[in-house]
Amino acid sequence: MICEFCKNNEANVHLIKVINGRVEKVNLCIECLKNFAIFPAEEIFNDLTKLLTKVFEVDIKIIDKGENEKIFENVNPSDNKKCSYCSIDLNTIKAIGRVGCSYCYTEFRDTLRPIIKAIQGSVEHSGKIPAVSTEDIRIEKEIKDLKYKLEEEITVENYEEAARLRDTIKSLQKKLYIGRKSKY
Amino acid sequence: MKSENKKPVFNAGVINNSMPALTAAGQVILTSRARIARNISGFCFSSINTKEEKRDILQSVRDSFLKDPEEKQFYAFYNIARLKKTQRRYLIERHILSPEMLVRMNYKGLILKCDNPDMENTVSVLINEEDHLRIQSVIAGSDIFKVYREVSKIERMLERKINFAFDKDFGYLTCCPTNLGTGLRVSIIAHMPGTVVTGKIEELAKNLAKTGYSIRGLFGENSDVVGNLFQVSNQISLGKNEEEIITEMNAVSENIIEDEIKAVESLKNSKPLSVEDSVLRSYGMLRYAKMLNYGEALELLSMLKLGLDINMIKDVKQFNFYKLISYIGESNLIIKHGIKSEDNEDEVDMMRANIIRKKILKGTEF
Repeated sequence: MICEFCKNNEANVHLIKVINGRVEKVNLCIECLKNFAIFPAEEIFNDLTKLLTKVFEVDIKIIDKGENEKIFENVNPSDNKKCSYCSIDLNTIKAIGRVGCSYCYTEFRDTLRPIIKAIQGSVEHSGKIPAVSTEDIRIEKEIKDLKYKLEEEITVENYEEAARLRDTIKSLQKKLYIGRKSKY
Repeated sequence: MKSENKKPVFNAGVINNSMPALTAAGQVILTSRARIARNISGFCFSSINTKEEKRDILQSVRDSFLKDPEEKQFYAFYNIARLKKTQRRYLIERHILSPEMLVRMNYKGLILKCDNPDMENTVSVLINEEDHLRIQSVIAGSDIFKVYREVSKIERMLERKINFAFDKDFGYLTCCPTNLGTGLRVSIIAHMPGTVVTGKIEELAKNLAKTGYSIRGLFGENSDVVGNLFQVSNQISLGKNEEEIITEMNAVSENIIEDEIKAVESLKNSKPLSVEDSVLRSYGMLRYAKMLNYGEALELLSMLKLGLDINMIKDVKQFNFYKLISYIGESNLIIKHGIKSEDNEDEVDMMRANIIRKKILKGTEF
């Protein structure tokens, strides 16, 4: 039997869970077992986890449900696309209330953006950026800051300064464009 | 514990009988704290990563501190799983470890710098918590700017050695979207008995929630409030920059101080019967109880402190509320007084009642 998760390795762990009379079978390989979400509320699974951990010497995740699951409660995945880096899918993200890796934010960007907007009220970072960030990010951030300043100067009718800022922004945008063109 | 590095010993300091009178601000805001969440680029988050990844993360963060010729003299490293139960509980009492750190402790670590044995002012890094790194600083009293400066210093140092996961829209990437952006959460612990007994706390809580702050009871679960102690923190970490977050939090804590001082002043002039009753009952309990559990002691001391501040009680010494409640914490008492049987709660409760009497109730040694 082939593992249901990776559809690659031989499944040598066969879990059966019965929830409210509904039987669910899961066939996994040991590698995928490590990533299999187990909820502490399912007590039998708890004991099973201990056993499995001992037998296979794997570190099995027991995921704490509760407040966490509310975070992504409005996510209704239409497909079972997996993150290409950590192979978590949206259903699991929804269940554990956490993403799997930094690439999840790129892979599921369109789904996550409105959720982040609802939690944070914004999807535009305006704080510090890594010192060793790529030149692009730094320039983009500078442009954003300058645009903000530009608006301020226009509000106070300081057009001379505004014109100067506009030129700086243009030259930065050009730099960004040329930098990108040369990369591809 | 090994003593290869300058590890702070877990013996809590001696409580000083002649405690200096604190400024009003220091009495309302007991502690200030800042923490930033960071994840190392290229590793899966703690939600799903493997123990090999956790091990590598632990090692690289530890090395960043202990193999740095300049930094290593200031920091100690602890493997959470290898600490004694009491030591772990002590670190939780000092708000250094989060309770989450004690769940599945393998490969979880703590980098700690503190300048006094009471662990009152600390800078620390939790490794392999919900995020790979949680850089935090907790100090006694009210100084949000200082705690942020401390964490920012460490972040800058680490940034030279570690690449943090970052996205130009979402900022620093975290396991939970509630921490995205700056990854910065600042919080204060406030003691507000006046605000509570004058019924102003609900209005304050509503206003805080409206402006993006969360307020909850400090020790109680399900936001129960014990000892009129509240933790207030910013909810929003994305879209505002660090300076805005800190400046706003500072304004929030100034408002809280002002509200509490106002409430105390008004109580000095007119004391509702229920408040007088509650203060005097607390006084009586503290004087005569043979055993006090921690929550109970917090409640009673909070009301006694209010009684002192509104000039209702005269024959008790003015005391530093924060120092005293830190001292009578479970683990602190066990460590300081060398109680052998860690689980002998009665013994601890008796000691707590005795200490409170000795320290603050004049002339009543039992």
